[in-house]
Amino acid sequence: MIGGPAAIVTHGLSKTYGVGRGLGRAGATVAALDDLTIEVREGEIFGFLGPNGAGKSTTIRLLLGFLHPSAGNAQVLGRDAVSDSVAIRGRVGYLPGGIALYDTMTGESLLDYLADLYGRGAPRRAELVERLELSAATLRRPVRDYSRGMRQKIGIIQALQHDPELAILDEPSEGLDPLMQRAFYAVLDGLRREGRTVFFSSHVLSEVERVCDRVAIIRSGRLVALSDIEVLLDRRRRHVEMRFAGDAPALEGVPGVSDLIAQGGSLSCQLEGDVGPFLAAIAHAQVRDLTIEPARLEEAFLEYYEDATAA
Amino acid sequence: MPRRHEHGGSGGMNAVLFRRTLAASRLRLLICAVGLFAWGLVTPLIYATFGRELEGLVQGNPLLSQFSQFGGGDLFSLSGAMALGFIHPITVALLSVFAIGLPVAVVAGERQRGTLEVLLARPVARRSYYVTTFVCGALFVGLLLAAELAGNVASAASLGVLDEIEVARVPLLWFDGWLLFLAFMAIAFAASVSFDRLAPALGIAIFVLLVTYVIDVIASLWPDASWIADYSLFHYVRAKQVLDGSLAATDVGLLVAVVALAVAYAMFVFPRRDLAAPS
Repeated sequence: MIGGPAAIVTHGLSKTYGVGRGLGRAGATVAALDDLTIEVREGEIFGFLGPNGAGKSTTIRLLLGFLHPSAGNAQVLGRDAVSDSVAIRGRVGYLPGGIALYDTMTGESLLDYLADLYGRGAPRRAELVERLELSAATLRRPVRDYSRGMRQKIGIIQALQHDPELAILDEPSEGLDPLMQRAFYAVLDGLRREGRTVFFSSHVLSEVERVCDRVAIIRSGRLVALSDIEVLLDRRRRHVEMRFAGDAPALEGVPGVSDLIAQGGSLSCQLEGDVGPFLAAIAHAQVRDLTIEPARLEEAFLEYYEDATAA
Repeated sequence: MPRRHEHGGSGGMNAVLFRRTLAASRLRLLICAVGLFAWGLVTPLIYATFGRELEGLVQGNPLLSQFSQFGGGDLFSLSGAMALGFIHPITVALLSVFAIGLPVAVVAGERQRGTLEVLLARPVARRSYYVTTFVCGALFVGLLLAAELAGNVASAASLGVLDEIEVARVPLLWFDGWLLFLAFMAIAFAASVSFDRLAPALGIAIFVLLVTYVIDVIASLWPDASWIADYSLFHYVRAKQVLDGSLAATDVGLLVAVVALAVAYAMFVFPRRDLAAPS
């Protein structure tokens, strides 16, 4: 269910760091996050997209109380992210980017330890272990023997095994092979069906497009877009290639069509928004071949960045 | 604007973390305890075997006489021998494994490795993390000191010289020594919660220990510089005097004050500081 009360709300959340010390540099600051205002609804998978260094991890660390905001505030599950951070962390599962684990412990004892710190068991562990294909023998081995992918699986399990109300996942598919990525996406689908909320930070555009309901795009610490995935994709341009039996129809002036290149019986163009006028314009032509490349979030992402840069 | 910080959680001991810290430290603790017990056997043995001869050798030689006062101990009495063992570099080094190594590892070390982030993502308040690991460290240091004193007592009893000290005062010496290393541990924790990397925290903690140790050694060997002893924490554990019947309340008070100040600093700073992503 999407559209319930907010799981995460930030108002003008900002974080600045002092940089350097010494003559002529005193007081210099850099804004890691600038005036972030977002709302993550309960029951949705919320993508938080941006390149490395954009401020994604800073945002997460502010939400969990690791960092203190320079301005603004955040509420997680209805509680203040600074003063109530201990209570918040009791209801949240967190996967840090590039998670560090205790190498001398076995996978099983590490998961036991991390679950015990929540004090409420690990009701989801068996299911997660099975879905992510971690065998009992693997879990009995020391973590130092694990590959990167196996460490990431342990990271995912420790974040979700206690069945949190809200999962905050920072680059969760990093290090997973394509099969395991698919298994992980299935886990997320399961969480969505159960009404759990997931804050999904990533720079991998395709997975955000695949698993998220809404996406916020962040760049240089500033929010540059916040939209439903569907809306974002709908308003993106599609690349169209067509071949006709005979001359290509005249598409100049058709709403949504741009970058038109016609050459004899071949035509290519960009198509944006409602496809109705375009389909009506080619309805009477004899189309021999038609390719419409689906709008990729990557293009939307790049366009947002280009727009932001131009601005 | 004062920085807000986390509330909630017990802020006290965390049983799960406590058990884990004990489990992770048990082998090192055992090795250090065996080492200190063995070392505790040695000084009474040297006293009982060579004490008289050494005293005769030293008498009449001002240089040797002064040198024999190293760290306020000597080898001419059981209490002096125990005091000498108490301040010997072997004791200091083995106790520092936990008095300095543990505090530096559990905060700055875990920060640097990135594992502190995983722990503090749980409902564990930073103060609770600090208190739990501090209590573990205090327990370990207490056990190690007890191991050395147990070695002293066992050795003296087997050599038939135990009646030269009042055994009931041994726990007082344990308490005084425990406070000394608790002070070093509290300082190491204070350094540890202040840094994101192991090296500066470890550097500061070792620097404080070494400087105060060297000051005490110089003051004990060089009469003209004896006044600098007041600036060494080691000076406030006078093991021989404690065993011989006097434990100065001001010495205890000063060590307690150092511990209290360092703990207050860490309890204030740790919950309020930013824990940025490990680099």
